[in-house]
Amino acid sequence: MSDIETLTHQLREEARRLLSEKRVDCVMGYEVGPRGRIRPAFLYDPAEADHLVWGPGCVHNLVTYLHNKKKPRRRGEEPPRVAVVVKPCDSRALNILFAERQVERERVFVIGMVCEGVVGPDGRPAAKCGRCTDRTPVVYDVLLGNPPSVEPAPDDWSDLARIEAMTSAERLAFWLRQFDRCIRCYACRQVCPGCYCPTCAFERDDSLWVDMGIEVPQKYVFHLGRAFHLAGRCVECDECERVCPMGLPLSLLNRCLVREIEALYGHRAGRQEALTPMLFELGPEGSPI
Amino acid sequence: MRFTTLDRLKAWLDHLAQEADLIAPREVDGHVLYRRVASADEVLLEYERPELSAKEFLFPATEVILRVEQKGKDVALEEVLPERQQVLFGVRPCDAHGLAVIDALFLHQDPPDRYYQHHRERTVLVGVACERMWEGCFCVSIGGGPTDATHLDVLVRPGTEGGFFLQPVTPKGVAVLEGLEVAEPRGEPRPVEEYNPPVPVAASEKWRALFEEHRFWMRHGERCLSCRICTYVCPACRCFDLTDRVVDVRSGVTRIERLRAWDACTSPNYRRVAGGHNPRPTNWERLRNRFMCKFCYYPDDFGPRGCVGCGRCIVSCPVDIDITEVMQDVARR
Repeated sequence: MSDIETLTHQLREEARRLLSEKRVDCVMGYEVGPRGRIRPAFLYDPAEADHLVWGPGCVHNLVTYLHNKKKPRRRGEEPPRVAVVVKPCDSRALNILFAERQVERERVFVIGMVCEGVVGPDGRPAAKCGRCTDRTPVVYDVLLGNPPSVEPAPDDWSDLARIEAMTSAERLAFWLRQFDRCIRCYACRQVCPGCYCPTCAFERDDSLWVDMGIEVPQKYVFHLGRAFHLAGRCVECDECERVCPMGLPLSLLNRCLVREIEALYGHRAGRQEALTPMLFELGPEGSPI
Repeated sequence: MRFTTLDRLKAWLDHLAQEADLIAPREVDGHVLYRRVASADEVLLEYERPELSAKEFLFPATEVILRVEQKGKDVALEEVLPERQQVLFGVRPCDAHGLAVIDALFLHQDPPDRYYQHHRERTVLVGVACERMWEGCFCVSIGGGPTDATHLDVLVRPGTEGGFFLQPVTPKGVAVLEGLEVAEPRGEPRPVEEYNPPVPVAASEKWRALFEEHRFWMRHGERCLSCRICTYVCPACRCFDLTDRVVDVRSGVTRIERLRAWDACTSPNYRRVAGGHNPRPTNWERLRNRFMCKFCYYPDDFGPRGCVGCGRCIVSCPVDIDITEVMQDVARR
């Protein structure tokens, strides 16, 4: 059996065990749809365990679906316990949700997958995987797969080079051109594990900042505002960029802030169960913070 | 049926661009979108289904419909009605079919939607036939087709030996073709290369009967992200919201614009009511509404189905929600 087949087999066994022993109510993993596309799957019955698949097409960050599992299914009941299949990048989002008291650690059974990268829509390795330095998730209850002996190359931030080469006027023109294509579908926000406000600041009926118009000024405010709300919280899973139907390079916005936060605070979101230092750490007068 | 050469077609498009706003498929940063073009050189003539439908030119994503100016006790209201003439060139038959769906609500009810009506009356639809069905397309199953001229003013079909065949469908279509220089016909319209397998379309009663089957809808909708991609790319989705925005307050004068903007039933807050209650609190209930609207509520209330089989929602959904999979499952029940 190939590594992928072995991993898939182990994953199915684990899901079967968790569901048949009633350790969890639901296993969140991946399945193949009728068009051959890999998609998120929600399993409730051990007999369905063989639907699960694993491979480089498992791109989705399933941690975002934990927000749909926070409430009990019926009044008076406990919220459901769930198992979630995570890649290393996805697992960092778990630490954010634990630190921000969104999900209780003991309600989640984490199936960590050793990961050597996923593929983009064109079948080539996803851009995020080229700069990823993790091969094993940062948090898990069971780890499937063997970590490779070869160390990944360090993140060199080369993706930001094209932005940094621009003057501020060029950069403004670049982003306005990108935001012009945006259709304000909110897919970037909806897919983000860190975007879970019950009412988004940019979608309030009485918002002081941005009305419901789908025009460049509102889109500009939304995207920049969202990036700032994720400063020190974005785990670089790049799901926002993947789901964007208009191909906006949203990871560039987030990654600029990731680097700033790391330089200022030595903090990389989700590596530990910790809140973003952006809002909670104040430096002495005159310090760069 | 008229015939013309590539050069003459382009000259005609250049002429149209002078007379009115010419909207046509154009490449924008690697995406094929309908956009206003200044000349025929920007127009794509070989293209797939553009990623967004053409509805935004008749039902704009955002539109100011009223201006209010308040000066002390004086309030002046000014209705804003679109007056631009536009030619939509290169729309696909499914786009025109989508507008026919929207017409059923916005034009054929009393009173009609004045803003949409103004756009509609000032728009000529010059469609270009599809040479094949693309990924996700199922127009043939839902009463349309790659060469369907029904809802267009003119249908253009590329010829087997170069050039284009143009078929006027309506008096508007005859009029817009007046500026076209025709040529001696060569060959015939290119046939459709590839059809996709048919998709069964269940009757509205069958959909309605499934409403309470929660497990069925959960299975299809639990992975839904509750974003708005499917509704915004859809040529037939037509929900909107209204708001008033203050644009200026100075020296005793307040100016307000009334805005209408697209809305989406898949969005978490769409159905929220005063007091905060949300009768469609989960993603699968909202997705169920989208499908029920297309195949049950809309046809029962207004006539046509709310889906034209363009397949855009299928290819653009980031979590593989596939309307044809749901249609097949409903038909099998």
